[in-house]
Amino acid sequence: MSDERRDEATAPDAYTRQMLEQGLSRRSFLGRAAGGAAAAGFLGLGAMPALAGVASEGKGAGAFAHSADGGATLSFLPKPKPIRDREIAETLTFDVVVVGAGASGVPAALSAAEHGAKVAVVQKAPFALSQGNTGSGVDLATSEKAGVEALVARLIADSNHRCNPKLIRQWAYNSGEAVRWVIDRAKQGGATVVDQGSPAQRAILKVNGYGMGYVTSFFGPKPYTTGDGIRALAKTAEKAGVKFFFQMPAVQLVQGRSGEVQGVIARGQDGKYRKFLAKKGVILATGDYQNNKAMSDYFIPDVKHLERKQLDKTGDGYAMTYWAGGVFEPIGHTKMLHDFDAGPASMCDTPFLAVDRKGRRFVNETVEMSLLNNYLKDPENAGHYAQVFDADYMTQAATWPGKQVPPEGLKNYMPDEPGPKKGVFESQVNTHRADTLEELARKLELDPATFVATVKRYNEVVASGKDSDFGKPATFLAPVAKAPFYGIHRRVRLSAICSGMLVDEHHQALDADGKPIKGLFLVGNLGGGFYGGVDYPLTVFGLSLGRCYTFGYLTGRHVARL
Amino acid sequence: MNTFTIPRSLGRSLVGLLATTILTAAPAKGPGPSKHAGRGIACAQCHGKGGKREAVPMRQCQTCHDPEALAARTAQVKPTNPHQNRHYGTQTDCTRCHHEHRASENFCLPCHTRFGFKVP
Repeated sequence: MSDERRDEATAPDAYTRQMLEQGLSRRSFLGRAAGGAAAAGFLGLGAMPALAGVASEGKGAGAFAHSADGGATLSFLPKPKPIRDREIAETLTFDVVVVGAGASGVPAALSAAEHGAKVAVVQKAPFALSQGNTGSGVDLATSEKAGVEALVARLIADSNHRCNPKLIRQWAYNSGEAVRWVIDRAKQGGATVVDQGSPAQRAILKVNGYGMGYVTSFFGPKPYTTGDGIRALAKTAEKAGVKFFFQMPAVQLVQGRSGEVQGVIARGQDGKYRKFLAKKGVILATGDYQNNKAMSDYFIPDVKHLERKQLDKTGDGYAMTYWAGGVFEPIGHTKMLHDFDAGPASMCDTPFLAVDRKGRRFVNETVEMSLLNNYLKDPENAGHYAQVFDADYMTQAATWPGKQVPPEGLKNYMPDEPGPKKGVFESQVNTHRADTLEELARKLELDPATFVATVKRYNEVVASGKDSDFGKPATFLAPVAKAPFYGIHRRVRLSAICSGMLVDEHHQALDADGKPIKGLFLVGNLGGGFYGGVDYPLTVFGLSLGRCYTFGYLTGRHVARL
Repeated sequence: MNTFTIPRSLGRSLVGLLATTILTAAPAKGPGPSKHAGRGIACAQCHGKGGKREAVPMRQCQTCHDPEALAARTAQVKPTNPHQNRHYGTQTDCTRCHHEHRASENFCLPCHTRFGFKVP
């Protein structure tokens, strides 16, 4: 195998090799379509299992010969005809063109501008957008080196050992600087942001016994979010000379003869195409593809029936990168489904009785909220469940995971309570109190008879001192017997899909040969290799935004210096 | 800003509108009932003059309806102003909710289950 004879220094790392073998690119599709050993031979990488699969299939080979994707054609992503020059209403030239004004794109643009580049940002929405509150990094000054490495190892394990360790390390060693930079520049733009530091990361102040410190940016409290923060950062970027073009969705990359990316074509609200040429590079920061049904059903069928939190995340950057020769991470992308809003976030992992949308118990409640989507992905439940507890919860759950909010504070999460709410999304609160179980069931939209029977059975289990139904530890068994009864109707929805297209450490897209595509860089959720597990891990609270800021910051600087 | 604003192109299009009314006095034949057609607006005015009936881009709506003025008109709608929201500002594509040839829909509702807007 020629790969083995390659110089160690230039050979791709293990993660990249696997992506080249199992990821999906136009070449792998074209190769498969051509079929047979000839295609594999032509491509010169006959050892690629997917291609080998097609070749073997032709010979009537065994059950393991099929590629993981079943010989995908990605028919939902036909490469469009290039838009012709005479269709272009206007051509503008910059050093760097960023597509997408979000938590990675705006930092990338500002960072590039601060390093001397003339920068444009084209954005589909009418303004900059982001979600969430917390974005985190490692404070190297207060962290032991062994702790940083232990955290890296923990994050790799969180991703079921499927991520690219180089990218995790890059985050770990650069994120403190990047998150501090975002805080400072967002403040210059008028943002409400604080560094909550290490106290926000209580569970990981020591990792494998080694001391750690963190930079934890917090844009909030709700309804103020990172969206507001990124808009403030965009103001700073504008002052630094970045030109923003809103309501201007990118539709195609401009590629030269050898495939190098020279710019991007976007369509304005007037329906006219504009060409943005990029002398140094295009940075795509277009977000995920959760609102693209075909792409979602194909790459992450688990979320088929789960509700989306975002709008217009149609995977534009994935499609454009794929057309340019880029490689999708293989099927089984990483998802993030949360509900921190229906009730207090601090109670989302408290192992109270939990029931599904009908009112049946369905899980050992020590499973965290961030993983419950896996039990609720059918069309009937669609991510809905309820946490249930009774009048004594403050004493019964005093030592359980989470921080229990007293009854007076719970009112802030109750839609039936009059008066303004504080620190919440008012339209998403969904906590209820009732004097009877039947009334609570109605408020939680459960079947009352089923729910009452579930509580009766649960109380029997509690009385026996052993959870013979689901095996929950006895310390977390408390009856639901004393009125008033409480319930939090949570629905986990898709915040993000955080798998993407293959990149190297410069966040430059790689083609099916593992070669960088000149002029094309990917950041944010579009960039692959940072996750790999079934679900986004909550080990470092705010890892997702922290990664977006960091890779935007680094990539903007890198491209500006080219 | 005025609470009520006359669509900005009304004056300009008044003559045209009358002409159109005369020319298309009969209700427009199409995929379904249309309030606009009922007011004498020809199909082509929204869908283009080509043979193919094209989807109506928001800029077409904006030739008569000013989103800013509309947002001002609905500023007091409870629980929130549908025409000024955190997702799109005043730039929500009209056709997300308002349909001509089928029942309109409340686009907010799947996520915001207590936003019970009646959409005309």
